[in-house]
Amino acid sequence: MAIPYFPGCTLSTKASGYDRSGRAVAQALGLEFQELPDWQCCGATFPLSTDNAMTLIAPTRLLRQAQEAGGQMTTLCAICFHVLRRTQNFLQEHTDVLERINWFTEEPYLGQVRVTHFLELLRDQLTWETLRANVSQPLKGLRVAPYYGCLLLRPPAEIQLDDPDDPHILHECLEALGCEVITFPYQSECCGSYLAVSKPTVPQQLAQDILASAQHHGAQALVTACPLCQYNLDYPQQSVRGWAIKPLPVLYFTQLMAVALGLPEQVWGMEGHSVDPRPLFEPYRATVA
Amino acid sequence: MSLDFHEQITMLSNQPILLCYHCHKCTAGCPVVEEMEFGPDRILRMVQLGERERLLKSRDIWLCAACETCGTRCPNGIDIAKVMDALRLEALRSGVTPAEPDAAKFHKLFLFVVQTLGRSHEASLLIAYKLWTLNLLADMDSGLQLFVKGKVPVLPKSIKGRDQVRRIFLKSAEAVAKENLPSANPASAQEAK
Repeated sequence: MAIPYFPGCTLSTKASGYDRSGRAVAQALGLEFQELPDWQCCGATFPLSTDNAMTLIAPTRLLRQAQEAGGQMTTLCAICFHVLRRTQNFLQEHTDVLERINWFTEEPYLGQVRVTHFLELLRDQLTWETLRANVSQPLKGLRVAPYYGCLLLRPPAEIQLDDPDDPHILHECLEALGCEVITFPYQSECCGSYLAVSKPTVPQQLAQDILASAQHHGAQALVTACPLCQYNLDYPQQSVRGWAIKPLPVLYFTQLMAVALGLPEQVWGMEGHSVDPRPLFEPYRATVA
Repeated sequence: MSLDFHEQITMLSNQPILLCYHCHKCTAGCPVVEEMEFGPDRILRMVQLGERERLLKSRDIWLCAACETCGTRCPNGIDIAKVMDALRLEALRSGVTPAEPDAAKFHKLFLFVVQTLGRSHEASLLIAYKLWTLNLLADMDSGLQLFVKGKVPVLPKSIKGRDQVRRIFLKSAEAVAKENLPSANPASAQEAK
């Protein structure tokens, strides 16, 4: 089945490992990602004030491309997903704003596209049972802590992906891969987001709290769906002086899927990580046939 | 002090700010409250009281990461991230110098890169940001590490619809000028040149 796919800027640059592993696992599961033909930045933030609709032009141009591609679109990046899902909802309710935006984008968007996160696609269309049946290298005994962050869950009324206080979707995905899944209290605390640029000490402190809590609960790795969370949690571990926490790999869920589905190491996309996660997978390497 | 300020922020954010009874759930859960001067619930109180000057000059509005923890917890259904965004917008529109100027500079540069390339490109963005904030030495070594690890490609990639994207930016700048909306929007990103 072909699925229109929006990678987003970060997945084509800094988080290319997320993109590579995501495309590979989708293909292995019979879901062919079909990249939107000429995508641009989604805008990266959803406009929160009432008179700032101009900011919706960028995500609307993408929804319009998805409209051409069949009315559905999936993303891996939690930020792009957040922006696109909220735009989709907002424009369904506010047809006056849609009309105005269409004047800017020059190509009418009809307001009917459905944006999904890849996790949602796995849960609702593929189902966890099918995923489980495709696992050839179960990650038995690997203790991983799902880290949800903010944008995948909140605000729940608009995102409607999972329970914001007791989320399960990453848990279920990792359980299907055979992992031992650990719940820890910081699983949906904010990582500091864009403050990484203007006020890096804030995310660095938050990252230490999050990583320390996960380690305290016995995690060998943290698993996320957001490239900014991955950066804020992984990157300072090697670059900040006086870092007090033991190294803890921070992975994308698609990378664990790639290992569990027995895909070759070239598609795991783990070489760019600050804390190399690959030693964790020595026991689970697919034996070459 | 002006009462209009409360009405204005209520309209811009579309949030029932007067419903806040200061239970502090928002402040208790805010991940950046330690860095703030006031914290979310006092900010709501200050909006109720119309303390425009203190709010627009406060660093708090620039520290909010819009993680939506507060809004998800609020028993009165106030989406506080929207109030924060309205305050930031109002600060930019009234020409108040942001208490965290680097955040505003990053915002402008980001738009400038997207306007030029159609996509964001971390390497160009970070270099330009470092130059502009004169903060060259602060984690330049880590920037280099990113290059070495192949996380940030050295050359930016652009898109075919680049002209269309530029046209959209120009049209929106014109519309903003015509309707006399002082903007936090693309035209001002030209300053980054």
